[in-house]
Amino acid sequence: MRIIVQKAKCQGHARCSAQAPDVFKLDDEGYILPGDIEVAEGEQRLASRGAQSCPERALELDRTPAARG
Amino acid sequence: MAANPVPDHVPPEMVRDFSLFTSPGMAPTPNGDPHAAVACVHAGPPIFYSPCNTRDGRGTWVITRATDQRRVLQDAESFSSHRSIFASALGEKWPMIPLELDPPAHGVFRSLLNPLLSPKRVTELEPAIRERAIMLIKRIAASGTSCDVMKDFAFPFAVNIFLRFLGLPDHRLDTFVGWAKDLLHGDDVRRPAAARTIVAFIDELAAMRCKEPVDDFMTFIVQTQVEGRQLTDEEVRGIGVLIFVAGLDTVAAAIGFDLAYLARNLKDQELLRSEPDRIALAAEELLRAYPTVQITRVATKDIDFEGAPIRKGDYVSCATMIANRDPAEFESPNTVDLAREGNRHAAFGYGPHRCLGSHLARREIVIGLEEWLARIPAFRIKKGTAPINYGGHVFGIENLILDWS
Ligand code: HEM
Ligand code: SF4
Repeated sequence: MRIIVQKAKCQGHARCSAQAPDVFKLDDEGYILPGDIEVAEGEQRLASRGAQSCPERALELDRTPAARG
Repeated sequence: MAANPVPDHVPPEMVRDFSLFTSPGMAPTPNGDPHAAVACVHAGPPIFYSPCNTRDGRGTWVITRATDQRRVLQDAESFSSHRSIFASALGEKWPMIPLELDPPAHGVFRSLLNPLLSPKRVTELEPAIRERAIMLIKRIAASGTSCDVMKDFAFPFAVNIFLRFLGLPDHRLDTFVGWAKDLLHGDDVRRPAAARTIVAFIDELAAMRCKEPVDDFMTFIVQTQVEGRQLTDEEVRGIGVLIFVAGLDTVAAAIGFDLAYLARNLKDQELLRSEPDRIALAAEELLRAYPTVQITRVATKDIDFEGAPIRKGDYVSCATMIANRDPAEFESPNTVDLAREGNRHAAFGYGPHRCLGSHLARREIVIGLEEWLARIPAFRIKKGTAPINYGGHVFGIENLILDWS
């Protein structure tokens, strides 16, 4: 699974990293680091919860086969 | 409060008799529930015009759906924050920073301030916050089986943390609470007087830290640089004043609403007391159900929004208490479910102005609840008393007398 990060939409709510700090890394200002995130096997549940907790809708789950691969 | 006439471009059928200031349930009411009172707008259209919906009686468009509020608040180019509400109470014109700046200037100051209140930084403040909560609650527990939560706990707690953040001693606590009260809830005489006092105080503090720097927030502000220059006096003032007014009432009210809810719902209270791991999630749900802030923007151009002819200069209200009761966004929005998952509530706003203090506020609320529940046995609203709830500019609660005899 992959998480598509729309960095421009991030406003630093930090809800994603509150759910899954190992998946969603923040910079010194508390905003998400740029770049899409490849999620490891064991972290998928937490990661999708984190993505779904973003108030700005900056995080999108990509479950296409390529992304799973 | 005299309402301004409805502008000609507003179609009469879009005007509704609704106001966060004057509608039923908004005035201070014993056992009132202003949040439930505003939730009724969801039976109506996604946008309507309220002829009297600011403290000074101006009309605003009211955006009811969470998804539309997101659209407005994420689009600072069309919906500006530049209003100078604090300065205008003094007949002056300077922005509170970053609240009343638009991008790109907003981002410059926001980047400057973000690290000071980032999740990481707030984690470092946590031990001091907890120590303060424990101290206050121990004192309350030792002095009887009843207390006035706002006076004895919520305000002293919020103000102390704020003073510590600014780098000020504790002994002026009552003075600060008085200023904040007058500013937010005072009449036409007390409000400007309090505003003037706060400005003078911030100016003086800034001058002092210029001369004799110490390791605190104000020293940082007077020494730091943006775009290769130091801040002007007006900018220093704009930041100082905003930090002063943004974090006092809001945190105290949140703690008050939370404890009032738990006092009336003993099962939930006992659940959180016996399983404190649930408190962080529960605090999010209580922020959703009982948020305090109405956000207002000014249209920078003519926009047709969901069939409403918004014209340049119109005020647009995005009340967090309305977004948070949107049934399209939250299942059973009028039910408090302390285990609610995927709770993307709007209590701290959306878009670039997302509450700078949100990480601190969350820590304060969670720690306050943890320490309260750990030290105070089953509590209720004291018999024969009634908390007074009110709507308006910042929703709040007073006279919350709890009893655990
Ligand atoms: C539960 C408590 C709080 C609530 C509900 C709350 C709510 C809000 C909301 C809704 C906004 C957005 C305003 C807008 O978009 O126009 C905001 C902005 C802001 N808040 Fe808070 N707030 C709280 C606590 C705090 C605290 C503790 C601080 C200070 C340490 C603080 C500082 C700020 C600042 C500086 C802004 C302006 C940010 C900007 O314009 O970029 N707030 N707050
Ligand atoms: S929850 Fe969304 S807005 Fe908040 S830090 Fe994560 S990506 Fe950014």
